[in-house]
Amino acid sequence: MHKTNITNITKEEIVPLAEKMFSKRRRLVIINGYVDTEGKNSIVYNYDVEGRVETYICRGYEKLPSITSIFKGSAQWCEEEICEMMPIEFEGLNKSGRLFLPDDFDGTGQILVTPLAELKKNNKKEGGIA
Amino acid sequence: MSYIVPIGPYHPSLEEPIHVKLYTDGEIITDSDVFIGYNHRGIEKLTTERNPIQTITLVERVCGICSHSHPFTYCRALEEIAGMEVPKRGQYIRVIIAELERLHSHFLWLGLAAHIIGFDSLFMYTFSARENVMDMLEMLSGNRVNYAMNIVGGARRDFSSEQFDKLLKMVNDLKEPYKKILDIYANDKTVALRTKGVGVLTKEDAFIFGAVGPTGRASSQSDDVRKVDPYSSYEDFDFKSVSVDNCDVFGRAVVRLLEVEESFKIIEQAIKNIPDGPINLGTKIPKIPAGEAFARTEAPRGELTYYVVSDGGPSNYRVNIHVPTFKNAATVPAMLKNNTVADAGLIVASIDPCFSCLDR
Repeated sequence: MHKTNITNITKEEIVPLAEKMFSKRRRLVIINGYVDTEGKNSIVYNYDVEGRVETYICRGYEKLPSITSIFKGSAQWCEEEICEMMPIEFEGLNKSGRLFLPDDFDGTGQILVTPLAELKKNNKKEGGIA
Repeated sequence: MSYIVPIGPYHPSLEEPIHVKLYTDGEIITDSDVFIGYNHRGIEKLTTERNPIQTITLVERVCGICSHSHPFTYCRALEEIAGMEVPKRGQYIRVIIAELERLHSHFLWLGLAAHIIGFDSLFMYTFSARENVMDMLEMLSGNRVNYAMNIVGGARRDFSSEQFDKLLKMVNDLKEPYKKILDIYANDKTVALRTKGVGVLTKEDAFIFGAVGPTGRASSQSDDVRKVDPYSSYEDFDFKSVSVDNCDVFGRAVVRLLEVEESFKIIEQAIKNIPDGPINLGTKIPKIPAGEAFARTEAPRGELTYYVVSDGGPSNYRVNIHVPTFKNAATVPAMLKNNTVADAGLIVASIDPCFSCLDR
C-alpha cells in the first residue's frame, strides 16, 4: 500500500530542495497548505521521484521563499492559491491577481483561519445566502 | 493591427465559465491571459464541518464527469491515515467504475472536439457510443452520474455475475463504433487540417507547467499514475500507458483514443479475474485517527490529488483538492501563442478542461 513519506524541512531548505529536484527533472506534483491545530502555517511540497511521491512540510513561517523562479508555471498557481487561503506570503512571487476569490478580494488570506459560521454570517450581511 | 479579444467568462461556446484575454496581431495570437474562479463553491471549506460519510457525498459533486475519481481519491487518503487495507474485490470494483468513467469522459471529449471543428456527424456518432457507457454505469450503479460506489474501506455495492456478463457484452458491442471513431480521427483530412500542428505544447513547457494526463502524455510526458504509482490493484492488469510526441491537439486526441482501448482491456481483465470475498471492511461509521496523507489517482483528465489532514475529530481538519485542470489550464497561454483566433476555442478545449473541478 502507498504510504505518504513526510519530511519536515525549514524555510532555508525550500529553494535548494526545489533546485535539486528541478535539476534531476523531478516533477513538482502539487503544493498544499493548511493552518495546523497550533495555528502554524504548514506548507506541503509534493515531488514525484520516479513514481514515488516525496512530501516535505515546512511549518511555522509567515513568509517563505517562492519557488516560481525554478518551477515557474508548476508553482505559480499553487503559491497564489495558498496566499488567498492562508495568512502567508511568498517572497518573489509575482501575483497575477485573484484566482478563486471575488474581484474585490483584499489579498489577505484568511479563509482557512476564519470559522465557517463567521464566513456564513458575513455572507448573509452582504445579501448572500448563508 | 493589434487587438485584445476577450472570451468569456460567459460565452455561448463555453460549457463552463472561464475568462481568456487574447492579445492579437491581426488573426494571430501573440499572448494571452487566463482568469479562473467563476465556479468557486468553497467545497474545501465545507468539508471542515462534515464527517467522512457526508464528505464522500460532497466531493462526489466536485465534478459531474469524474464523480467517481473524487470520492475514490478521498477514501484512499482516509484509508491510509487509518491504516485500512481495502479487500481485493472492492479494489477491482473501484477500478471497473474508474475505467468506465474514463471511457465516458474520453468519448465526451472526442465528441466535443468533433463539434468544435464543425464535424457534427462525428460528434453525434461519438455521443451515441458514449451513451452505451452511460447505460453501463446506470446498469451497475443505478446512476448515470454520482455513482455512489465508494465508502471508506472499499466499494459500496457488489455486482452479480449477470451484471458482469451484461457489462462484458456491452463493452464488446462498443468496440465496433470505437474502431470507426478511431479510423475517422486517424485518417480524415478535415480532422487532420484542424488539429495537426495546432496548439503546440513542447515537451519542455509540459514539464515546466507540470501538464498531466492526456495533455502531458501528448507532449512525451509519462506520468500515468496507474502505471508509475499503481493503486487499487492496477498492477494486476496488463495495459499500456499511452504517450506520444505530437505535442499538438491531434496528439491529445490520439492519446485519448488509444486510452479507450486500454480501458476496454482493463475492464475485461477485471471482470475475468475479480476475486471472491468481501467488497469492503464493513465499517459503518469510520473513525479516522489524527494524521495526514497525500493520495492521487489517474482521473480521466489526469492526476487528481487529495491532501487530507485529520485531528482525530468527527470532521475533516483539512481537505485540499487539486484537479488535473489546475495544472493543465496554466499551459493554455503557451499553447495559444502563434495560433489563429479561430483555433482558440479548440485549443482551450484540447486540455479537456473542467472549470467546475478546478474552482471547487
